Amino acid sequence: MTATSRRRLSRVAPAYAAMKPRRVEAGLVLMVGVIIVVAYALASFGASASIPANLGPFLVWMLALLLIAHLATRRLAPGADPVMLPMALLLNGLGYVMIARLSNDVPGGSDLAGLQSTWTAVGIAAYIGTLVVVPRVRILASYRYLLGIAGMALLALPLVPAFGRQINGARIWASVGPINFQPGEFAKIALAAFFAAYLVESRELLRSRLELRDLAPIGVAWAGSLAVMVLERDLGSSLLFFTLFVVVLWVASERALFLGIGAVLFAGGAVLAWSMFTHVQQRVDIWRDPFASPKGDGFQIVEASFALADGGLTGTGLGQGEPDRIPFVESDFIFAAIGEELGLAGSTAILMTFLVLIGSGLRVALRANRPFEKLFAVGLTTLLGVQAFIIMGGVLRVVPLTGITLPFVSYGGSSLVANYILLALLMRMSHEQRLEPVPSQS
Amino acid sequence: MNVRIRRLGVAFGVLYLLLFAQLNRVQFFGAERLQDNVNNSRGLVREFGRQRGRMITADGVIVARSVEAGEPVDFIREYPEGELYAHISGYQSLNVAATGLEREFNDELAGSPIDQQFQSFSDVFRARDTTAALRLTLRHDVQEAARTALGDRKGSVVALDPRTGAIIAMWTWPSFDPNLIADPDGAAANNAYETLLADPDDPLLAKAFREVFFPGSTFKLVTASAGIESGAVGAFDPVFDVTDSYDPIPSGSPISNFAGSSCGGNLIEILRASCNTAFAEMGAEWIGPDEMVTAAEAFGFNHTPPIDLPNAAKSRFPTDFGAYLADVEFYRGSADAAAEGVEGVGGVEATEEPSLANGAVPVYENTARLAQAAIGQNDVAATPLQMALVAAAIANEGVIMAPHVVGSQTAADGSVYDTTNPEVWRAAMSRGTAQVLHSAMINVAVNGTARNLAVEGLTVGGKTGTAQLGTNPPNSHAWIVGFAGPPGQPAELAVAVIVEAQEGASEQTGGRVAAPIARAVIEAYFSIS
Repeated sequence: MTATSRRRLSRVAPAYAAMKPRRVEAGLVLMVGVIIVVAYALASFGASASIPANLGPFLVWMLALLLIAHLATRRLAPGADPVMLPMALLLNGLGYVMIARLSNDVPGGSDLAGLQSTWTAVGIAAYIGTLVVVPRVRILASYRYLLGIAGMALLALPLVPAFGRQINGARIWASVGPINFQPGEFAKIALAAFFAAYLVESRELLRSRLELRDLAPIGVAWAGSLAVMVLERDLGSSLLFFTLFVVVLWVASERALFLGIGAVLFAGGAVLAWSMFTHVQQRVDIWRDPFASPKGDGFQIVEASFALADGGLTGTGLGQGEPDRIPFVESDFIFAAIGEELGLAGSTAILMTFLVLIGSGLRVALRANRPFEKLFAVGLTTLLGVQAFIIMGGVLRVVPLTGITLPFVSYGGSSLVANYILLALLMRMSHEQRLEPVPSQS
Repeated sequence: MNVRIRRLGVAFGVLYLLLFAQLNRVQFFGAERLQDNVNNSRGLVREFGRQRGRMITADGVIVARSVEAGEPVDFIREYPEGELYAHISGYQSLNVAATGLEREFNDELAGSPIDQQFQSFSDVFRARDTTAALRLTLRHDVQEAARTALGDRKGSVVALDPRTGAIIAMWTWPSFDPNLIADPDGAAANNAYETLLADPDDPLLAKAFREVFFPGSTFKLVTASAGIESGAVGAFDPVFDVTDSYDPIPSGSPISNFAGSSCGGNLIEILRASCNTAFAEMGAEWIGPDEMVTAAEAFGFNHTPPIDLPNAAKSRFPTDFGAYLADVEFYRGSADAAAEGVEGVGGVEATEEPSLANGAVPVYENTARLAQAAIGQNDVAATPLQMALVAAAIANEGVIMAPHVVGSQTAADGSVYDTTNPEVWRAAMSRGTAQVLHSAMINVAVNGTARNLAVEGLTVGGKTGTAQLGTNPPNSHAWIVGFAGPPGQPAELAVAVIVEAQEGASEQTGGRVAAPIARAVIEAYFSIS
């Protein structure tokens, strides 16, 4: 590293150079820890007017997890952005508090809290493991075809009779031995790497010309998304994958035309889906007027609206609402539970936390030196931001509801572990940027 | 590529701003509308599932209590005595609006009034059970005696303390089991409610204070009071002609006595014999409409009784008797002469305001209705509660105390939030009038139609009634009103009993059917087996 590059680094990112990022992160993680522990105690107090009996062990366990995540980052990615990890931990912690609080009320939910804490530990282990296994993100580019095939294989896994299981109408689960998981959650990361690597190769061509065969990739992505929707009946993932591809393609090609084509294809797919499937029509009908059948099809959305309305500005207080009236409140509808018990203040805080994560992710993309990292960071951030938008928008009736988890917050091992891997990859790229000269703006 | 990445950032900003806007719509601007939505049962469930205070009878029997359940609501409301207090406690239900005390004392039972929440300064800092228990004035033994005595006949029993207005027993059959409607399973509760609602006997209706019936001859007590209060009639003077028929003025079908018998005499005697002809004449020709309306309203007719239960019905006495014809000085003697008097005023224009001077009464187009009203027929209708209050007024020197079922409201620790102080509702008549009627009623129980009411060792007064509903086949409401107390002391209990639509239409029906029920209640109250 030359003296000039050092100067440029400090000029471009004075805050990072002046304040050691890990020290900032330590402070933020500590604040997050305090918030989570206090929220946990309040939730128990609100529900049963007593301090939880296991507050001591919980405090130790939670702080240990936070500390381990932070110390591992300190060792494995000391130069990385100091905000992303605390934000993810905050979402994870608040989600956990809500799940622990719901586990008393949701039928059959008694071990939700225990499982979610285990999954949190596994998630953080996966985060650390990813940082260890992936010392440089660009090595992923050289495995692009392997990753592409792996991604598609994972996506298709639930369709294999030996592994696949259909739960709640969607065929998105796979059983390998004793472990049930949603392979789609992991497929999305592999596919983001594959798309990024593939488009790095072809972007010069895509920029300079437009022939019919250049439209083949977007067509394939579209067809793949449709296949996911038709075969696995998973609208959310279908939309997520297609959006991922179109966004990365658009950023790579720098041609708005692809956004237009993507929009047309999306509209076509949507119309096709609507005309082919009654469950899609049903979703759209519920979205247009959930109150048409408030005790039937619209029940979930209607109850979520009532929960949010009960929450008002400041919420009913943790443990004092009735979020358990909403079906699947611990996974797809956890945002409504947070809105009810923490109010508009709490739901807005969740929105802001996701915005900060998205901002940090896009900053990683902006600062990336190589096109692959740029596109990969864009892809990962898009996955996170769009997935959160799809489910929060679904709960809020901004878009038709498609069942998908709220990253880091919802109950669910696959989602949690996959998102920690996603976070680790962003952190890895962010760290690498500290070690290398910032490129000229392109 | 960075330009596109920044645009992507802006796009995310817009998308999340959209979410934020919608959050504001749902959680703030539109929150009230959503909370008021008909499909939103959150408030109801919160209210329904909360712990509420108990209801306990004066002798310690639990009428309503909250039992910890956990699922699907924290507390379930239980009514251990089932149908016995259903019309008093009412019910608290998930789908159906609350009734009875559950409705009237909703806030107190739920513990929401400020004075219940903050009994002392330290309450600001601790969570305390703030619900109020309702201590009822009802006595379980008397209430059960009423149910047993009435049996499976449709009817109502009201027993109250004339000195305070405290209701000791109030029972209507058919009744219902409030536990069915309080079922936390909303669909089951709804079904039970719909079934009860469709029942032609209307078991949901607390007829004791929410339904009006022809009071029949029991109303003659009011007419007698009006007679004495107006100055036209005394205890022993005038003496009404012994006759078997009265022809109303200015026209109308004749009024006869039961079974075509003849009767007459002074006030004490016509009350004893329950003489229709004499009371019809008294109402129409001696008292007149104005004094009759005044007296009836002094007893509470045309007013809603201030009972601490919702939807009490007004008892009814007609106030409109058509166009004024003239003041007529009646010949106080034979019915023929009275009829001549009316012929004399036939076609006379109404030129002056009606007034009662020199024994003259104003005559209206429909004075015949007044003659019928004076014996408790035509447009007169009373709740069993109202008729109990008539007896109570006579037993309590003319004063009607406000009827109530809640004696006090107590906190979980036994301290008292509120006590119901006896309050005067109406002055029905003067003390002197009450004394005359008191003696007259005792005479009815000793020598008259209410002999079945007499209880050895107590001073008991009564008045029977048989309100005819039809003659083919003959059927009628059997009534009795009465009071009872230790000899030489003020009466402690006033009772009204109605047994609906009984076969037969003789004046004996009330005494035969209703009196034994009232006597059973009196015996239960005074612990006479």
